[in-house]
Amino acid sequence: MPGRSRGDFRRWRAGRPFWGGLLLALGGVEILLTLKASLDVILHVGMQGLAGYLLPAVMLLCGLLILFNPAQRLFYSVIGVLVSLSSWLTSNLGGFFVGLLLGVAGSCLTFGWLPDQEPRVSRRQRRKEARSAKATSPAPQA
Amino acid sequence: MTSSAEHTPERPEGPVASDAGDVPARRGRVRARRAAVMAVPATAVVAGLAILTSQGALGVQFAISGMPFTVTATELNGTGFAQFGGLDEMAEGSPNAGDTGGQVLVVTSVIKNATLTKLCQSVDLGGTNLVIRAGEGAQKVTASDLTTDSTQLSGDAAFNNIEIGNDASTLDKAGPLGRGPKGVFSQQSDTVHIANLRQTNYATTAGVFKLPGLKLGFSGSGC
Repeated sequence: MPGRSRGDFRRWRAGRPFWGGLLLALGGVEILLTLKASLDVILHVGMQGLAGYLLPAVMLLCGLLILFNPAQRLFYSVIGVLVSLSSWLTSNLGGFFVGLLLGVAGSCLTFGWLPDQEPRVSRRQRRKEARSAKATSPAPQA
Repeated sequence: MTSSAEHTPERPEGPVASDAGDVPARRGRVRARRAAVMAVPATAVVAGLAILTSQGALGVQFAISGMPFTVTATELNGTGFAQFGGLDEMAEGSPNAGDTGGQVLVVTSVIKNATLTKLCQSVDLGGTNLVIRAGEGAQKVTASDLTTDSTQLSGDAAFNNIEIGNDASTLDKAGPLGRGPKGVFSQQSDTVHIANLRQTNYATTAGVFKLPGLKLGFSGSGC
């Protein structure tokens, strides 16, 4: 039943900052891809080279944790944005800027996400409702 | 009556209404003002980092490998230079492996302290090139513990106190990083000066890179 599973996925997505977590995780993956140095080179450089790997790994982890443990999203998003920003210094200018941008955007989306919001109403719908409310409101008073 | 009411949706938006049927009415949503609380300071920090880096006040680290990229500079001055041969292995199943079997014969150069004028670094991304330029003004690019694995290296070089033919494991002029495997041909020198440098690299790492006048962009042609 493809329709049923799609509905399940949408319901799962509605209960967590889906795009925020996904973008943050993708940012981490992108930075890791631009690094992909062999282990020999990292051990050659030592701790400083290791930091270049540690930060995108933390980004990926925070992104996944936002998706699978959305209750702690504020903490993860704050860690995510700090780590994304520091990746400019340690990991190829934040994966040549792309990964840094994804990470910061994802963290901000997660930070701004709130559960249990009213369904979005289009502007035309809102205007129409306002007009009908104005039209009907004098009736009960009279 | 009730069944007909179920079948005719109140809002006349056919597909949207039927989609909304299997999604809860209340769901999570991003509040723009809340997101801005984090987005505004984060953007400011990104801008600050970019400005500090392009002024050369802030050093950044690089670690690239697995894809060939080109580095050019009009002038390179370094102290503590070592060079030896080696074999670079790519990650398992790397798309860049081609017919090389995943191994590339490279020359590893280690420079303890390097100063580069008009550095240009480009990576071919298939069609477009990512180009990083720096050090075109009065300030020069500096790098410490610069380690590159190159397949091609050209330029007009001058060495001071060069020792050629050492065993790579006995090198001492470029510090502990500039030591290669046993039984490999190598050379080292106190200082190195290379004009019109052009390298095709497979891997580069540097402890700290300072990039004054940084420009990062995409371009149709490489360096």
